[in-house]
Amino acid sequence: MNKFQISNGKTINKPFNKIWVVLAILVVLTIIFWQFITYDSSMIDLSQLFVIVKQMFTPKNTNLTHRTWADYFAFMLELRYPLWITIQMSIGGTIIGSLFAVPFAIFAARNIFKNKYINAPFRFVMNLIRTIPIILLAIIAMAMVGAGVLPGIIAFTIFSFGIMSKMLYEVIETVDMNPFEALESTGANKLQAFSYSIVPQIFLPFVSYLLYIFELNIRASAVLGFVGINGIGEVISVNRLYNYDRVGAAVIVLFILIFALQLINSRIRGKLQ
Amino acid sequence: MIKFIDVKKTYPNGVEALKGVNLEIKDGEFVAIIGLSGAGKSTLLRIINKMIDVTSGQIYIDDINVSSIKGKELRMLRRSVGMIFQSFNLVKKMSVFNNVLSGRVAYHSTFKTILGLFPKQEKILALDSLDAMGILDKAFIRADQLSGGQQQRVALARALTQEPKVILADEPVASLDPITTIQVMDDFAKINKNFGITIVANMHHVDLALKYATRIIGVKDGLVVFDGKSNEINDQILVDIYGRTLKHDELLGDTNE
Repeated sequence: MNKFQISNGKTINKPFNKIWVVLAILVVLTIIFWQFITYDSSMIDLSQLFVIVKQMFTPKNTNLTHRTWADYFAFMLELRYPLWITIQMSIGGTIIGSLFAVPFAIFAARNIFKNKYINAPFRFVMNLIRTIPIILLAIIAMAMVGAGVLPGIIAFTIFSFGIMSKMLYEVIETVDMNPFEALESTGANKLQAFSYSIVPQIFLPFVSYLLYIFELNIRASAVLGFVGINGIGEVISVNRLYNYDRVGAAVIVLFILIFALQLINSRIRGKLQ
Repeated sequence: MIKFIDVKKTYPNGVEALKGVNLEIKDGEFVAIIGLSGAGKSTLLRIINKMIDVTSGQIYIDDINVSSIKGKELRMLRRSVGMIFQSFNLVKKMSVFNNVLSGRVAYHSTFKTILGLFPKQEKILALDSLDAMGILDKAFIRADQLSGGQQQRVALARALTQEPKVILADEPVASLDPITTIQVMDDFAKINKNFGITIVANMHHVDLALKYATRIIGVKDGLVVFDGKSNEINDQILVDIYGRTLKHDELLGDTNE
């Protein structure tokens, strides 16, 4: 604690600097992690990394399998079918999940419903759903409806709902409520006032989140194949043990798609501002 | 006609904002309410269209007892009362035109307004209102692109589009610079004269109130302490209303128009 005395004798205390607490936590975390660094670093074999990467990005060529670059690119072209399934599932899940998120976000927002007994249950459901990892959602959906496209859509829907409801209610809580008062003063009912004062303020963030969540879903699709969801993830999962070149091709295709999506997103978001 | 009969307002925190107000405002008047901050000016204004509920007493607009109506009846009444705010209260990310058109939503069903279906003559009415405020050329740009004075004119156009009988203005020029203040006050005068709309405005600047309003209501500690023509005001009356002589910031001063 620092105490300052200024020229006329008055004193003022400078509050405790929280940076020391943060530093202390960092030191403790480093000590905990030190164990792994010292014991297990000997097991890291960097050369294996290069072997696998090389196998991923060159056609497979062994005693039994002889594939050429032409095969490699032909396979990439073939990937458009599973990729299209992935895109369809992601779009479906993003839109359905985000639409369900809208009423939840409205009821969870403290500035719209001032009664915390209304907000609390909606927030609870939202938080609960957000804690479930998407892979677990996929497993549960598979158990319910079997393998295929449908469990993918269900998993993406619930995952999108979790993210959209949280981001949307936070943006609703930051809107300017003054226009709402103005609309009420014109004789508009609550729903009219909401749609003419709050909706225009949350529309652009909503569209921007929609694009972002779609991107997240495409990324997540890579791992969903491991539990039996169709799409590009399935290709990665099926080939992961012996056909590194096919995994590599799928990774490249996925990378290109996600990269393109990011470009489109940032462009659209720039336009929306 | 607006009529207050022994109107009292006590807030839940115990503050007595109005302690028995009796008033009668005739159609077509331009009334300025003056007084210290905290005297009850804002409550007096907002209680007229029931943005704030009365604790006791009655308020009439024409034959309607405002204090007793609610729901659809209240919304129908508010439709005929425009309101102007210190911070303009526009949706900044929406076009000027849509902001102005939103003054019409109370005339239609919720379903129609959510779909944005307005009759063509109402869209033209919105543009007419903008033209009356001299900012027709700004119709299709976003409200946050405009200056403060222009935004307040958009708010005035929104109120005009309601086709109101009365416009209530809560410190309409308090966040504007002196030059724009004069322009916006001129707009109020124009609306009062050309459209015959009654204006009731809370004013911080006393000299502005005296210049534009035809009638002054002085409020002190929740009571009306002066009610008369603006040319009846003298320094002694101002001391009665403010409990002291005026401070420099309570006068707009010479703006060299």
